[in-house]
Amino acid sequence: MKKLVKNSYFQFLLLALALLLIVPLASLGIIPSSIVVNIATVIIYGIAALGLNILLGFSGLISLGTAGFMGLGAYLSAYFTYQMNLPFEVSLILSILIPTLIGILIGFVSLKIEGLYLAIATLAVAEVFREIFIQFDFFTGGSSGAKAAYPKLFFGLLDLSKQPIVARSVTYCLIVFVLLVILFLSFNLLKGYIGRSFNAMRGSEHAAQAMGINILRYRIIAFAIATAFAALAGVLYVHIIRISYPTTWNMNLSLDMLAIIVIGGFRSLYGTFVGSFVVYGMSEIFLKKIDGISEYAYIIKGVLIILVILFYPGGIMQLFRDIRQKIRQLFKKDKEVIHEPVR
Amino acid sequence: MGIFIEIIFRSLEYGSIYALAALSIILVYRTSNITNFAQGVLAMFNTYVVATAVNKYGIPIYGAVVIGIVSAIVVGILIDIIIIRNAKKVSPVGKQIITLGIMAIILGAAPFIFGYYDLSLPKFFPNGSLTIIGAQLSYNAIFNISLGVVIMLALFYVIQRTKWGLAIRTTASNEVTARLMGVPTKTVTMLSWAIAGALSVLAGTMTAPFSNVSLTFMNDVQIIALLACVLGGFQTFHGPVLGAYIISISLNLITFYMRVPDGTVWGKPLIYLLILLFLVVRPNGLIGKKLVKKV
Repeated sequence: MKKLVKNSYFQFLLLALALLLIVPLASLGIIPSSIVVNIATVIIYGIAALGLNILLGFSGLISLGTAGFMGLGAYLSAYFTYQMNLPFEVSLILSILIPTLIGILIGFVSLKIEGLYLAIATLAVAEVFREIFIQFDFFTGGSSGAKAAYPKLFFGLLDLSKQPIVARSVTYCLIVFVLLVILFLSFNLLKGYIGRSFNAMRGSEHAAQAMGINILRYRIIAFAIATAFAALAGVLYVHIIRISYPTTWNMNLSLDMLAIIVIGGFRSLYGTFVGSFVVYGMSEIFLKKIDGISEYAYIIKGVLIILVILFYPGGIMQLFRDIRQKIRQLFKKDKEVIHEPVR
Repeated sequence: MGIFIEIIFRSLEYGSIYALAALSIILVYRTSNITNFAQGVLAMFNTYVVATAVNKYGIPIYGAVVIGIVSAIVVGILIDIIIIRNAKKVSPVGKQIITLGIMAIILGAAPFIFGYYDLSLPKFFPNGSLTIIGAQLSYNAIFNISLGVVIMLALFYVIQRTKWGLAIRTTASNEVTARLMGVPTKTVTMLSWAIAGALSVLAGTMTAPFSNVSLTFMNDVQIIALLACVLGGFQTFHGPVLGAYIISISLNLITFYMRVPDGTVWGKPLIYLLILLFLVVRPNGLIGKKLVKKV
């Protein structure tokens, strides 16, 4: 039993089941139904931030273009499903594939442009996308936004357009399912050869090269993963919010993604989602209920970012780990301290 | 011909704004090794101070700008003392993220202090214009262009010729060694945050008459200023200024001469793409030197 609880895959499954529990709770009226969409956005931004965490935390490459790729995924999926009437599944694959190809291109370029220059170059890429979202109005609807519907799953067999509330719950379940797949994938990826290569690359590129790691290949893989996750998040976003404005995908969103992984903790799967909850969920779900605090949400976020960076560089997950170790020390005073591997 | 000259003058006016913003970014970057993503938001905050002084208390714009500069210097010094000084041991990426935190705090605080409405700001010279070789040139544009040039020349003079400039340059080249040689690096860093604040409030006050003073009105200026730094290279003080004028001139020329009949504006995306292509060819910018990495 204890072995099962420790198993990471089992933990992911439990998490997904717990998240699914929100749907019946909301439909029974125990918790407000707006929470479903709030949690969904937390998951969506968490997925995009996880891509950035793999890029920045594991392989040490910085990108400020996350918002641009999210927006690209969102607009592509809206266009494919709403204007071209493609099935959701086809549109999902296409709208992830196209941004990923552009991400691979940036991966090629990242060998030449480095550090700060790369950060601002990716920012410029995102700005190019944003200008396209505003100007290309036959494709994006310009400033009035692009519309999309709740996805019709199984190639249109599951058509719930008559029952919007059920459709919303189904979309939410889809998002949780995607989250589960993403967690499995990233866990395996990062524990395996690719993850170890990323770690080596972040430590020292020359040493990694000396160990026979092809830097170009792994940079491209890192950028491909980051853009694919961002685009996937964008697709999910547009299908649950059902509209996409160019103003959503601005620089502040990319910076928020950075804030998420800083607050949650670098190189932490769970931490990314905890960070996403702190940045996007907390103010929406808790602070808005308390009068006089909700206006301070921005300030609280800013203070939290600075405090974490200054005093707790490991993020909230490091705090959890430290607390757990303290408790363990209390019970096993005579035994040596167990150092947990960074997850 | 008249139109061409008019475009060049307009580019120089915008170029002054971008150059001031870029200078404020590069000054902070060189002395405290932080890419200041909060620069635009700081400019917004202090321009709100100027606009409130003008709209609410009826202070003429010249006086209000002085108030804005004082507030920018105070805010800059506060940020340095409270946050930046305590962030010595933070990793380079962490330092950049700290400026994102500052950004969030200011974005959250500004509506409380200045209200939720956009404010408008008058020009330094509301009317009157000159005609040069068939080109209309307003007094305000002349004032903006020359103010930008004068401030930049003064700053370059200070940096290259005075003792304080020497202190700034040594801090920029190697902070630890500078401190060992007796340079008061803490004061230098504080000073550069203060000057950066003053430069950005000037950029903000020059931008404001073209739009309103709102929470996001400096975003575009900041992005172009960051690109100017990349284009000019982060290693020198004059590179970003050069970059700012180049971007401004080519942006206006492309927007005018490549306009599409249906009204879409392709100037900005094209310029961004050109800069990206340029970066692939010269990864360290126009005047940048390649940093030698030691294993």
